[in-house]
Amino acid sequence: MKNFIFGFLSTTALILVGLIGYLRLGAAEVRADVSAAGWQSRLFHSAVRASVKRNAPRVQSPRAHTDDELIAGGKLYLNGCAGCHGRPGRPPRSQTGFFPPPEFAHVGTQFSEPELFWVVKHGIRRTGMSAYGLPGGYSEQQLWLIADFVEHMKDLPQSVRDAILSGNP
Amino acid sequence: MKNFVWGAVSAIVVLAVGVLGYLELGFASVAADARPSAWEASLMTSAVHASVRRRAPTIENPLPRSDDTLIAGGRLYMNDCVGCHGAPGQPPSDFGATFYPRVPQFPRMGSQYSEAQLFWVAKHGVRMSGMYPQSPGYSDSQLWSLASFISRIRDLPPAVAKAVQPPASDPR
Repeated sequence: MKNFIFGFLSTTALILVGLIGYLRLGAAEVRADVSAAGWQSRLFHSAVRASVKRNAPRVQSPRAHTDDELIAGGKLYLNGCAGCHGRPGRPPRSQTGFFPPPEFAHVGTQFSEPELFWVVKHGIRRTGMSAYGLPGGYSEQQLWLIADFVEHMKDLPQSVRDAILSGNP
Repeated sequence: MKNFVWGAVSAIVVLAVGVLGYLELGFASVAADARPSAWEASLMTSAVHASVRRRAPTIENPLPRSDDTLIAGGRLYMNDCVGCHGAPGQPPSDFGATFYPRVPQFPRMGSQYSEAQLFWVAKHGVRMSGMYPQSPGYSDSQLWSLASFISRIRDLPPAVAKAVQPPASDPR
């Protein structure tokens, strides 16, 4: 039993020291111009999804989900989000990045509207997704409009798409 | 001895299952509107610095050391970097503070990196941060001029500071 505990503790210590050494000696790759390996991407994205599902509020959107609101959300999206997440009606761009931002018009989203609201408000750590609910970002109302739009971005009504893209060639 | 091996194996299993469970059950915080803890910031920052030092080339900037080079780099900086990294003579970027980890504010902090290291970081980006690679958008020569500007950003010749005007509109 004593040997078992000794083996357990020394292995744990060895792993921790190895990990810190790996980082401190600069062995960890930092370049972001290659995509993450499949397992890294799967692990990261499932950890993010699980964390968002655990933390996002379980509330209904206070918005009315009209076409007008979709258009208002779409205009916010085109101004603030499209630079990284792509525009509706455009082919997906070939993206370089370690975890490239999702192009919602093509891949849609697995998040519910309250979860999208939460993600835009708080951002996602260690990615280019910053927290837009901080001062200088968006109001709660704007955040709900954006969440509504992103939720429906893959299958927008034609009238909404026309209204958003008119004057935004 | 047999018990020691069993102890070692169970440590590996417990750690692996623990880490996977922690991640898959959603216990890892993802909200970016917090600041990294001191130990996390220190460990991750030193990991990035060490990795850059190990990998970046140790060559001199091939561009002439002139005000023209600094101005060319400064114009790029004012167009594309200033939104997150802050402008010389201005308060720190609010937008840069909405990322996790927060974006380094070069006009205040300067940089610990050599020009070749700055060139390399701008070109390749930094994983697990908001710093995306600039190589698709900029040529090597543009990135070298940028590196030269950032390495002198706290100590620009007056003519350069004057030629590089802050952008008129909100970069966001």
